[in-house]
Amino acid sequence: MTTCAHRWSMTDIRSGYLVVEGCYHCGARSSFFSTEPVAPIDEYREGPHFWEYLASYQAVNFNLVCDKCGEKVDLRDMMGLMLSLCEDPRCEVGRLGLELGKKTSIYVALCADSSHDSGRCVSDEGVAALTEYFNQQLRSGRRKIVVVPCRMCDRIDRCKGIVLADSGLTDFY
Amino acid sequence: MRISEIVEKTGLEALNAWEDEDISGVYISDMVSDIITGAAGCGLLLTLQTHKSLIAAANLVDVAMVVFAHDKRPAEDVIQLADKAGIALFTTPDHTWSYAVKLFELGMR
Repeated sequence: MTTCAHRWSMTDIRSGYLVVEGCYHCGARSSFFSTEPVAPIDEYREGPHFWEYLASYQAVNFNLVCDKCGEKVDLRDMMGLMLSLCEDPRCEVGRLGLELGKKTSIYVALCADSSHDSGRCVSDEGVAALTEYFNQQLRSGRRKIVVVPCRMCDRIDRCKGIVLADSGLTDFY
Repeated sequence: MRISEIVEKTGLEALNAWEDEDISGVYISDMVSDIITGAAGCGLLLTLQTHKSLIAAANLVDVAMVVFAHDKRPAEDVIQLADKAGIALFTTPDHTWSYAVKLFELGMR
């Protein structure tokens, strides 16, 4: 276990597209980050799934590195962040929001597989580093940021929140 | 520089209730993905973007005030979200560049 009181910075910042796909066979949702100049829209089969392009948003992907000890946290398993607006007491994220109150903002770290059928989600190490990083950016102790993995949501597909992606950006151009 | 000084000297119109505080820097962007990676430590965000996701991003990197250029005005639900996050919203009839020049002339860097 490290004894370093990490001071995190963003590194490996990559601009690209958050591509969302749906399986028209079972209704599952999946997403991936693409650095292609144009977001890929190909349909393809993967095991039991028939993935079809649903949408893409300009987005950014990054890792975190500690300025003091050089430790790096790989966040490639995170597809994006969502500000949770959930107040549903049946949902763990909703309960946490109610418990922590208005001075704390909860951001959900979104992984690629919203069904979590694969058993994978954003790593605990990544979530902890993100929480530390964003709190280190705050100017005063009046507010707090908590980042949680999307596996904590009762139903991420129906979760109430705002995804931090450039949806609607073209509306004003 | 305090928010009150910026409001007074650049002629901003407030869109919600706000509390005075120090502003250390300025960031100009219309992209949420850019704000997340670039606006940390800058108290003032100058933008044309009025989407709700802008407030979610500004809150994450602790933006204190958002100025919408070219008389842009967000919808009521966006203002409510900013209220909840404690982010002050303002609008200016100036274009982004013209308003940026005003901030520069005030000594903001």
